[in-house]
Amino acid sequence: MDFLFINAKFDGKVELTKEALNYCKKYKILALYSSIQFSTQLDKILKQLEKEKITVITSQPARTNGKYQILGCDLSYENLKLEKKPDAFLYIGDGIFHPRALVLAQKDESEFKEVITFDPISKQLSSLGLKNVKKILKSYKGSLLKFLHSENVGVLITLKPGQQQFNPSKLLKEKYPNKTFYYFVDNNIDFSKAEDFPFIESWINTACPRLGFDDAAHISLPVLNLTDALNLDKLLEKKSFLTE
Amino acid sequence: MKIYDLEVNSLIERIKEKNHKTVLIQLADGLKPQSKEIVDKVRQETNAEVIIWFGSSFGACDTPFGLPQLGIDLVAHFGHNIFKKDLEGW
Repeated sequence: MDFLFINAKFDGKVELTKEALNYCKKYKILALYSSIQFSTQLDKILKQLEKEKITVITSQPARTNGKYQILGCDLSYENLKLEKKPDAFLYIGDGIFHPRALVLAQKDESEFKEVITFDPISKQLSSLGLKNVKKILKSYKGSLLKFLHSENVGVLITLKPGQQQFNPSKLLKEKYPNKTFYYFVDNNIDFSKAEDFPFIESWINTACPRLGFDDAAHISLPVLNLTDALNLDKLLEKKSFLTE
Repeated sequence: MKIYDLEVNSLIERIKEKNHKTVLIQLADGLKPQSKEIVDKVRQETNAEVIIWFGSSFGACDTPFGLPQLGIDLVAHFGHNIFKKDLEGW
């Protein structure tokens, strides 16, 4: 089967307004990211920032196909592959899904950097901070602790080829020999179905990690992502926004 | 108002070049209302049957499975780029 990816590039000007540029002047080093609709059209913005003597850094995060591009699943600082720390992040694009990943990526850090967002369509400038994910992080920390004391754990596997992580999830049994893991499979992971399995005390999400944060924060069940379950000891030892 | 370039001509070229018979188009949520425009144009320019993905499309990681059962030989994914899956987990 053949695949064709069409970026659906934004068909308009991608440049900062005077107000947005003035706001960026607060910082000397900005890490610039964007969604695929805008990430190949950042030349003008790079020139604007250069003229104001603002250093721009960026990277090609782990699962992306090019520099400047960010995905919603880039939820760890390590995945960003940034070689140096910026003073703030600047996200170019519409919507909140992608820039919120830049906030969540800082959950394991001890110092938070503002995420400035600029939408070239509406020309709106906004700012994201930890307050925007406070409820999510609080709920997630609760899930981590609940998992530690759970004997019966459900592991959710998706059939979607891009998100299916059955093999890595088998490591759970080695890592936690005193827990019993029950494996569940579905196409779309819908947490409301978890109520049908009341013997499960905690759930491990192996599909898109945003499900473990954004979706799970709105339900009462403890849900954590596979990577965090496998690295839980290190995660809880580290002083960070998630564990504080 | 159309603010994104859907590059339908690229899709038509690919269908003609590879002689695809059945095509699935999968669009990011914000682009779904434009699916009619894509289907109509592809039908006009080629003999391929075009099917629209009804479900979620959160990223290039969110491509469906079981498509060959319908004879689908091309998936055109609008609004996301190639996803480099890490086989060892997220």
